[in-house]
Amino acid sequence: MTHSNDNALKAENLTIGYGERTVIDNLSLNFPSGRMTAILGPNGCGKSTLLRALARLITPAKGSVRLGGDDIFSMDTRALARRLAILPQASKAPEGITVADLVRRGRTPWRGLFSAWSEADAAAVERALKEVGLTDMSERPIDQLSGGQRQRAWIALVLAQDTPCLLLDEPTTWLDLTHQIEVLSLVRERNRSQGVTVVTVLHDLNLAARFYDTLVLLGPNGMVAAGSPQDVLTEENLTTGFGLSAMVVPDPITGTPMVVPR
Amino acid sequence: MTSGMTRGLKGGLILAVALLVAIVLSLMIGQIRLSAFDLWNGLLTGKGPGALTLRVLRGPGIATAIGAGAALGASGAIFQILLRNPLAAPDIMGFTSGAGLAVVCGVLAGTTLPMPLLSAAGGLAAACAVAIMAIKRDGTQVPITLILVGLGIGFLTTAAHSFIVTRLPPEQAAEAQRWLTGSLAARDWGHAGQVFGCGAVLAVILAIQVRALGLLELGDDLATGLGLKSNRARLKLAGTGVLLAATGVAVAGPIPFIALMAGPLGMRITGATQPGGRILSAAVTGAIITVLADLAARSIVPGLQLPAGVMTGIFGAPYLLWLLSREMDAGDI
Repeated sequence: MTHSNDNALKAENLTIGYGERTVIDNLSLNFPSGRMTAILGPNGCGKSTLLRALARLITPAKGSVRLGGDDIFSMDTRALARRLAILPQASKAPEGITVADLVRRGRTPWRGLFSAWSEADAAAVERALKEVGLTDMSERPIDQLSGGQRQRAWIALVLAQDTPCLLLDEPTTWLDLTHQIEVLSLVRERNRSQGVTVVTVLHDLNLAARFYDTLVLLGPNGMVAAGSPQDVLTEENLTTGFGLSAMVVPDPITGTPMVVPR
Repeated sequence: MTSGMTRGLKGGLILAVALLVAIVLSLMIGQIRLSAFDLWNGLLTGKGPGALTLRVLRGPGIATAIGAGAALGASGAIFQILLRNPLAAPDIMGFTSGAGLAVVCGVLAGTTLPMPLLSAAGGLAAACAVAIMAIKRDGTQVPITLILVGLGIGFLTTAAHSFIVTRLPPEQAAEAQRWLTGSLAARDWGHAGQVFGCGAVLAVILAIQVRALGLLELGDDLATGLGLKSNRARLKLAGTGVLLAATGVAVAGPIPFIALMAGPLGMRITGATQPGGRILSAAVTGAIITVLADLAARSIVPGLQLPAGVMTGIFGAPYLLWLLSREMDAGDI
């Protein structure tokens, strides 16, 4: 099943604050349908706050978020959960729960209160497990898995949710490089095969440049740049965004920009 | 799934047999010993000492113990899953002693309101107090704060219990003290019917919410992302949990540590990891603990009927200490 219709996510004049402090100030951004966008920036610049607002986990003080033209803040909770999935940062699994039990809970928005487990549910779970390579470990308790496997199990949960729009908050934190690449590869695989819109908060600039179509760089004073990796990862933008003096050279393998701190 | 299922079936069978054994032992042992033959005869013919024990002497108390223990156990499991902390139980967080305080105050004031209603009001009031006082400056709540504030509310209500007891004439004071410790003495079929009636209604309400509980234990953000109105769902579940605990308290008093112990113990026996299985295991385990505690209370010292709460305290308090030290090692406190 390919999600062909418009699944662009649009933030319009978004202002978000906690109490007195304004974290995001009048931000307008377009996350193109079927593309992978990474949100980058230093700690405390509001990356996660922005992502949480895009998923309706927090209500902005001003502005709106539209998914394929529909205002997400006036949508039914369940209807939204069928179109947009979010994997929050560092989730903790309940004690003893198996991979399959965890992933099955991703089917919740598609099930009625008393409806039985359907063939579509089973197929979606099976596919998600296969995509993350945990089919053989589906009956293992999560607490017995390695860090990389555990993160893949959580990703399988949102893949089983089977939404045309997928938001991930720092899915590679705490993982070693091999597993970071593994996780981003499987997200990109889902993006390429299903045309899923992906928005990810990431820390690693070079991986973002490799795996993502569009980058958004937030700085301490709001948005610095948005566009292709080449346009965003410039020496000037890195200074503005991170206060980092760095050289940008082509990645010897992919040719995408590679940031080398001075 | 299959290995988990067989383990679950085996565990369920163990719990069922344990409950049956506890019931039979509890029927046989007491101030007057009853043989298994007499009991069986009484059950079949409805005549003789066995029938008298079943119908009048011990039957109602045991039935009440089963209902109260199940209600408390289920309530404990709900809060332990909801707050993802084994310390989160209505008896630790002051809900049961709040319910007990309301009942004693109501009875002393001579109100004609039914006990479950008083108990529910007291439990809900304590829960609201805990929830409000645990709100942080940014408007959020964290489980460990809720538990510690609850502990404080529990001490406060217990102090109020003691104060009230000292103000009463000796006879009433002894009675009130006994009830506040948690006791199943002198229960009749009315009590049993009441706890099973209220419990059944709440069980149905809970069954509808089990799936929501399974989402909330993944964390509020993920639950919301999966289409749940998290705040509302959590409020409803907490309300159901408080009412279940209050149902148990109304017939058995604020009997301590059953809600705390039943969940983890039941989970260990059945290996249940899903909320529904965990609550069910906790309910049956709670019933077993309560029946055994009542049995021990009335037979351990010949000629003396101790409150069942004394017995659950003897086992529950060391368990709580062990749990606290484990949580401290994990750095959660």
